[in-house]
Amino acid sequence: MTPSYLGRLVLLSSASFFLVQIIVGALIALIAPTAVRRAGTMRPQRAARFLLRLRLLPAAFSLIVVAVLCVPSYLRFEPRVAEEEVGLACLAFALFGTLLCAASISRTLRALLRSSLYVRQCAGRESFVGGERVWIVKQSAGLALAGILNPRLLISEAAMRELSSDQLAISLRHERAHRASRDNLKRLLMLLAPSIFPGLRLLERAWTKSSEWAADDHATAGDENHAAALAAALVSIARLQAGIRMPPLVMSLVDADEDLSQRVDRLLDAAPVRESKFPAGRIALLGLTALILSVSINPSSLRVVHSLLERLLD
Amino acid sequence: MDVMWSGGESNVRDVAEKLDRPLAYTTVMTTLDRLFKKGMLERRKSERAFLYSPRLSRPDWERQRAGELVAGFLAGPRKSGELLISCLLEEAGRDAALLDELERKIKIKRQELNRRKS
Repeated sequence: MTPSYLGRLVLLSSASFFLVQIIVGALIALIAPTAVRRAGTMRPQRAARFLLRLRLLPAAFSLIVVAVLCVPSYLRFEPRVAEEEVGLACLAFALFGTLLCAASISRTLRALLRSSLYVRQCAGRESFVGGERVWIVKQSAGLALAGILNPRLLISEAAMRELSSDQLAISLRHERAHRASRDNLKRLLMLLAPSIFPGLRLLERAWTKSSEWAADDHATAGDENHAAALAAALVSIARLQAGIRMPPLVMSLVDADEDLSQRVDRLLDAAPVRESKFPAGRIALLGLTALILSVSINPSSLRVVHSLLERLLD
Repeated sequence: MDVMWSGGESNVRDVAEKLDRPLAYTTVMTTLDRLFKKGMLERRKSERAFLYSPRLSRPDWERQRAGELVAGFLAGPRKSGELLISCLLEEAGRDAALLDELERKIKIKRQELNRRKS
């Protein structure tokens, strides 16, 4: 395997990633408003799952196409001794693909840095509240979940003073729900997935709202008293946090950008959501996976992919 | 306008020389004339050329622009005025009035729950 052979493989992979990402990203961005409306008719937990899958689909699909189709077809059909020139278009696409990945990685690293700096600044004392290990911090936070793999529950001293015991317990249950569904990790994945179209950011915002609502539902478990306690806790924390914007990988009980009145109204007058049981999303995902697998194990389809790559290379 | 604010009273040639990218003398002249007609610049004749100067300082101009934007929203349909106010409230943090209103709703709900319990 010569360096130029490997170099062409890298260029082709990057160019293919960019092209697939643009095409699928544009399609998803186009249907994003409809998807968000549809998510509004689902239970929050299911809506969050649906929106997250859609948001990550362009990046995941591009990676799969590169890993399962482009690389194997190139390794199988490209003669190792061939010395081919790489066309300008392929070079440009590869450059854009690299820039896109670099931008996403740098965005993620900045978010990680900001979040870890925030946690370090908040350094507080470890304590146990309702059997839960938490960090009581002097400033900021209100009540938040920080960290990716082993998230910490942060509670400000002011929040400890302001919240009654039932409000504190229900708020902790809310944050535990975020931890159980690994929402900070999901946020990290969304930061890593390129976001060039505004429609993709719309999906992110809708996901944030659905994940908050899902955690609310988990915390209250359909109990109206719990719901009222959580609503009161939200308002108290919103007063404490006025104007404070949390780093991207710190999930606060109340987000600076969210519509708090909508969330409180929902808690106070939660109407049961009637949703379709038909698992359309799951069927679509299974169909897509089956299609990619069947194409990738079929030598003739790999040959077609290779001829497409050859065109891209020229 | 940046050039005018930083350089003060200038003629067309001065402005053209201070621009980041080269522009034709006539293009700069037309632009300055339009800014004068829009009331953003003042001018006086000095020998054969006009000398332009900003009518407002940058902070005054920004304040005026913000005022016009808000006035435009408030003069529009009621919905856009309400939208603007709600955005301003969101930006300024959790507005105390909104939080008071939410607290009132929670209190009513709690009373209702207590009544049902007893």
